[in-house]
Amino acid sequence: MSLDALRRGLARSTLLALLAPTLALAQPQTGSIRGRITDAASGRPLADVQLQVLGTRLGATSGADGGFVVGAVPVGERTVSVRRLGYSPLQRTVTVTAGGTATLDVAMNVGAVNLSEVVVTGTGAPTEKRKVGTSIASVDSTIVSRAQAVTIDQALQGKIAGAQISQNSGGPGGGGISVRLRGVNSFISGSDPLYIIDGVIIDNGSGQLTDLGGRSNPQNRLADLNPADIERVEIIRGAAAAALYGSRANNGIVQIFTKKGSIGKPRFTLNSRIGSNELREQQPFNLYPFDINGQPIARFNYQDDIFQRSMTSEHNLSVEGGNDQTRYFASVNVLDDEGILRSTSSNRQGVRLNLQQQLASKLIANVTGNYVTTRNQFQAFGEQNDYGIMGSLFFAPSSVDFRPVNGVYPLPPALGTNPLLAIDRIRNPQTINRFIGSAKFTWTPLANVVVDYTAGIDNSNFEQRQFIPRAAVLGTAPLSTGRAQSVFSDTRVINQDGFASVTFNPSSSLELRSTGGFNYTSQRVATTNAVANGLAPVGELVGAGSVFAAGQTDVELRTLGFYGQQEVNLWDKLFLTGAVRWDASSTFAPSERWQLFPKFSASYVALENRGGLLNSLRFRGALGWAGSQPSIINAYSQYIAYAQLPFAGRPGFVNDVTFGNPTLRNERARETEVGTELGLLNGKVSVDATYYDRTVSDLLFFRPLATSTGFSRQFAPIGTMSNKGIELLLRTTNVDTKNLKWESTITYTRNRNLVESLNIPDFQSAGGYPNRIRTGEPAGVFYGSYAARDCRTGALLVDSLGRYRRSNQNVDMGADLAARRRISNGECNDSLNAVIGDPNPDWMGSWLNEFTLFGKLRVRALLDGVFGNDVMNLSTRAQNAGIASNSREFERELLPYGNPNKLPPGFNARTQGIFEYWVEDGSFVKLRELSLGYTLDMAPVRRWFKDGVDLTLSGRNLWVWTKYSGYDPEINLFGTNGGGLGSGQTTAADRGFDFGGYPIPRVWSLSARITY
Amino acid sequence: MRLLRLAASAVGALALGACSLDLQNPNSPTAEQVTTSPDGVIALATGLQGRFATSYGNFAYTAGLVTDEFASVSAALISISDAEQGAVPSGTGIADAVFNSLYRTVRSADDLLAGANALSGQFDAGTRSGLRALAFAMKAEAIGEALQSYQRVPIETFGITSPTYVGRSQALPFVRALLDSASATLAATAPSAFFNSSILTPGLNLPNFVNLLRARYARMANDNAGALAAANLVGRTGPTALSTFSFPVPTVNPFANVTGGANGIAPRRQFRLSMAPTDQRATYFVVASTATGRVGALLDTWARYANPQAPLPVYFPDEALLIKAEALANTGQLAAAQAAVDSVRTDCTGGRGVDDPKACLQPLQGTLTQAALLDEIYLQRRFELFGSGLRWEDARRRNAVRGPAAAPAVPSEGQRCWLPYAVGDRNANPNATFAALPDPAEPAAYPAGCSVN
Repeated sequence: MSLDALRRGLARSTLLALLAPTLALAQPQTGSIRGRITDAASGRPLADVQLQVLGTRLGATSGADGGFVVGAVPVGERTVSVRRLGYSPLQRTVTVTAGGTATLDVAMNVGAVNLSEVVVTGTGAPTEKRKVGTSIASVDSTIVSRAQAVTIDQALQGKIAGAQISQNSGGPGGGGISVRLRGVNSFISGSDPLYIIDGVIIDNGSGQLTDLGGRSNPQNRLADLNPADIERVEIIRGAAAAALYGSRANNGIVQIFTKKGSIGKPRFTLNSRIGSNELREQQPFNLYPFDINGQPIARFNYQDDIFQRSMTSEHNLSVEGGNDQTRYFASVNVLDDEGILRSTSSNRQGVRLNLQQQLASKLIANVTGNYVTTRNQFQAFGEQNDYGIMGSLFFAPSSVDFRPVNGVYPLPPALGTNPLLAIDRIRNPQTINRFIGSAKFTWTPLANVVVDYTAGIDNSNFEQRQFIPRAAVLGTAPLSTGRAQSVFSDTRVINQDGFASVTFNPSSSLELRSTGGFNYTSQRVATTNAVANGLAPVGELVGAGSVFAAGQTDVELRTLGFYGQQEVNLWDKLFLTGAVRWDASSTFAPSERWQLFPKFSASYVALENRGGLLNSLRFRGALGWAGSQPSIINAYSQYIAYAQLPFAGRPGFVNDVTFGNPTLRNERARETEVGTELGLLNGKVSVDATYYDRTVSDLLFFRPLATSTGFSRQFAPIGTMSNKGIELLLRTTNVDTKNLKWESTITYTRNRNLVESLNIPDFQSAGGYPNRIRTGEPAGVFYGSYAARDCRTGALLVDSLGRYRRSNQNVDMGADLAARRRISNGECNDSLNAVIGDPNPDWMGSWLNEFTLFGKLRVRALLDGVFGNDVMNLSTRAQNAGIASNSREFERELLPYGNPNKLPPGFNARTQGIFEYWVEDGSFVKLRELSLGYTLDMAPVRRWFKDGVDLTLSGRNLWVWTKYSGYDPEINLFGTNGGGLGSGQTTAADRGFDFGGYPIPRVWSLSARITY
Repeated sequence: MRLLRLAASAVGALALGACSLDLQNPNSPTAEQVTTSPDGVIALATGLQGRFATSYGNFAYTAGLVTDEFASVSAALISISDAEQGAVPSGTGIADAVFNSLYRTVRSADDLLAGANALSGQFDAGTRSGLRALAFAMKAEAIGEALQSYQRVPIETFGITSPTYVGRSQALPFVRALLDSASATLAATAPSAFFNSSILTPGLNLPNFVNLLRARYARMANDNAGALAAANLVGRTGPTALSTFSFPVPTVNPFANVTGGANGIAPRRQFRLSMAPTDQRATYFVVASTATGRVGALLDTWARYANPQAPLPVYFPDEALLIKAEALANTGQLAAAQAAVDSVRTDCTGGRGVDDPKACLQPLQGTLTQAALLDEIYLQRRFELFGSGLRWEDARRRNAVRGPAAAPAVPSEGQRCWLPYAVGDRNANPNATFAALPDPAEPAAYPAGCSVN
């Protein structure tokens, strides 16, 4: 097919119809740019310098003599970016005339720290990094695309110091991922940062509309975003950096920018990936061929039937191009991701059109539109034990033959369902239709004035269904009579954002910039739910039922804020910023609503662009305040509400037992951060180090009320919590020769969380699980029963049968203190429960190595580790329960007497009640990414594809080094923000529970990328 | 520039027009919406009756477990099977549920009183009278049930964050005063037809209910004259003699709620086996079964509440007769007392025309002594008032608390004096901390009565 034919074909498609006029434009007149690059210190010519004419794809690489030529550059003022490894990147502007040659000779300074990068998140108006007093992490599209990840948050794993990015479940479509920046900073407002795409605040909820396992987290809505559309990600981690976002900034901000397109002829890029997913390692099950009475018995390993090797395919087609007036980027994305748990899959189809148009000489519009349909077929896991597959796997004795007999699937004896039946018949389809769009107008009436206005919308329609056939679960009606459910949820977030910025230069050594802006967000979630039980034998929809229930909710939350900022720039070395945000949220009581969030920061560039040992040095410091709001579920907590209680067929009202708080106000964080950036050894090493200290006060949670008043709790400030930590980023160029480049990036993160004070009794934060919020301990520590020790020897106490003694049981430890002391020979087991573990890691780190051989072969390996965190293995606890008895440890109880591995009878029944027994070290190191890339650019290939064909063989989560005995220490029962149904008693601090989680697969994939 | 002006005005309109921050909650009404409209106050009256049924169910369920009436089914939680053996540790769900639900009922009654008073001009006198009397009566019974479960109870709780606990010497007069208010309100202005047909739950007769409660708490206060007078006012024949709550689908009877699953209880078989074989009350309440419970208790299954929509008697009408008999016996009017007991014993099919328990037994033989008569009254109360929660107070007042009966022993009468105080209140009420309000000590030796101070 000729290019023209292809164009005609694409122009016919609706997606690209809008672009047709731009494609038809005549090519503008052109000239060229020529020049020579040298080392500023020695004057030596510099080879391998990358030059790019900004806003176009035109560029060149300097030769051995430092010379370069760029041809066919459109006439006019052009900015050229000049970059080389180990040197400070810079930009120069030249004037290109028709048929003329502009000269550009550049002397480059050594330096590995890029202080001239422009960032926009948290800074009011776009600002060079050197002027910002806080640390900002940025990640560009190559890092995202090389991760070969299904979602953007997966792609960021192991890339950012200060971030704990955990994949809570391994399901298709990205799994549920939580991002925690600088520790947990709230109980009720979630731990996830605020996500912004092209200036639009978006919804990253992980809630499920039907019960797919209580608080489990199969997917968060960032999964709707196509990672290939992303140009750059900026991450600000703290209150000091995020103060301009006011009452939502406590958890940090992640801002994503999508690709803009570049001037030139249309360029098509096709990237296809095929992947294979597999269970990394099976869990050992009890396959002992005898039962508890020593009788022969058949046992089965259901993992062979439940898990599969599954396939993923992903295709991205994008086109970009434009001219001086118009630039466009359009893409189509199709992802088919099958889960390793049979019958689970995720499918994403999206289109994007980004358009930049010069409306007038000083007015530019940027319009983005992204429509995506995500279709999932999930299965329940986690704490869903009625019909969840993982729960059924762990709770079913390994002696049940689950294969159907005469078409009927046998049910397990005590708990759960037949996992084969669930795979075959239970259905949980969901469809998310989502549009994210924005329009941004930038007006520069004068050279020193910028006015910017952005309006955006994120609207998703989420339909989730559930079908559980009759007689598919154990137990009684209504669930055993079948369930058909359909829930529709419409979520829309509307944003308006504007700022104006004015710059003055009163003298050559002083620059002043004043910025003022506003932001308005309205978030609304409307949900309608219909559910039927008592299903007919045929039919999977609600209409097939005979007993019906329905529900509807409608929640809205609005935030309005104004900010002002003054920056002072002295001698281009010292930068001082003062800002204040004045913010209000509809959630809070009118009397408390308007809050001020100030920030102050300073940046001092002590050294820049020097040769030798120390090339650059910057110090920065900041102090700022930010807030957080409760999630939208609690949007109306300021009101004293009444609840419906129909009685005898009549409508009735009773007081809601949660008492409204008419003086509700936001949580407030104060953070100080200091840091430095260093460039060393002729630009071969760069260091970015930050220390922060954040205290969050007025933490919101449910304060208990005296139940004699007829109420039980009130949403109110209950305490103070702090996070202190260190973030370190080290980049090194180890080898830099013509044929081999070897670069490394190391991150180190250390955070210490502490609950400083509580004005209520310490409490169990996750209903039913031993996470606890306790003064003087990190948030979410495990608190519960332990195995009692002998006070003198420290040895575990056992009873006459050799079983451990539970600290909190009278039968094991006596009814009173005196008996406890007698049994334990001292005074060491005086409390019934104790802190038995901490799910917060001591430190996290990653180590990325990238090798480039002969300029064509790229090898890349990312190790990502979490250290010193505890995980409570409730999956194995379930296996050890008497009704399950399918673990390897239970197998030891079945061994004949005399066998040295024999465990005493009742040993496992006893450990069920000793929660300390299930706490394991969850430290791990994962080979998160490994890839091998090669560019095929032989002549026959180049004849067809000018830039050659990029082939990449890659793997994700290939190996894990850990002492943890379960499937994966990374998975977590609780999602990002509590999520789904029954989540009222889960806080952001609840982590570290492995209970029927969906294992994270090992993924191998092969991708090819061609550009036309 | 025209474009810019257009854009600027559009931005201004959007930004200013859309951003009111005072949002109403469309999902649930606010206190203001409910308590300031007649419709809202009427809905509060329905809500109160719903909560009353729930808290009564909680009270009767727990009282039955810690006496000899109920035991846990096999799927029940450990805390339920502990309670059936007399063990209710502090913090147990069932200890808290009784208290919390009773005081929710109290709160609803107070809300209704406040609403009826505030909107007095918007209700006709008869409707207002009915609303107030209903609130007085249900609040009184809720606090009365608390009195039969906890040694000390709060009585003033409305608009207070830290209610004070008082003993029975203060609480019982408070309950009786509430009932007198209910009675006086009804006497002053009869409830309107609108109240009776559209607000009061169909099946509930308010004057009978108030008089029965007045008799019940007069008896508890050993006021024989008051008990007799009130008991005589309780209608005992015709359709209004039996007050019931009804439970149309999808609501269920509180007993249906707790007969299966993790809270599951069933009647102990010994209830049926202790009766005369001809006593027809067995079949009114239970169906013979061979089931055993979680810790081996021998169980029957419910007959009365097997259907989840079965109506729940608000009281059993023959309680009035038995209160009357007891008051007469206490005051030496033995013949009249014996006649009243016989009236209960001989109640048989057709009887008083209501679906209440019917013994269908022979009248008592000969003339009983006062002591024998009182014993007979207690016995009849056991069979006639099964599952109503009243057996616990009966065990207390006749010194028949016999201590925890660890399975497989079968308990008789009461197993403990009191429930531990609710941790839900302890957590937030400085008057209810463990230091300020220690859990009452159970008797050191059995059988025992209970200190009611």
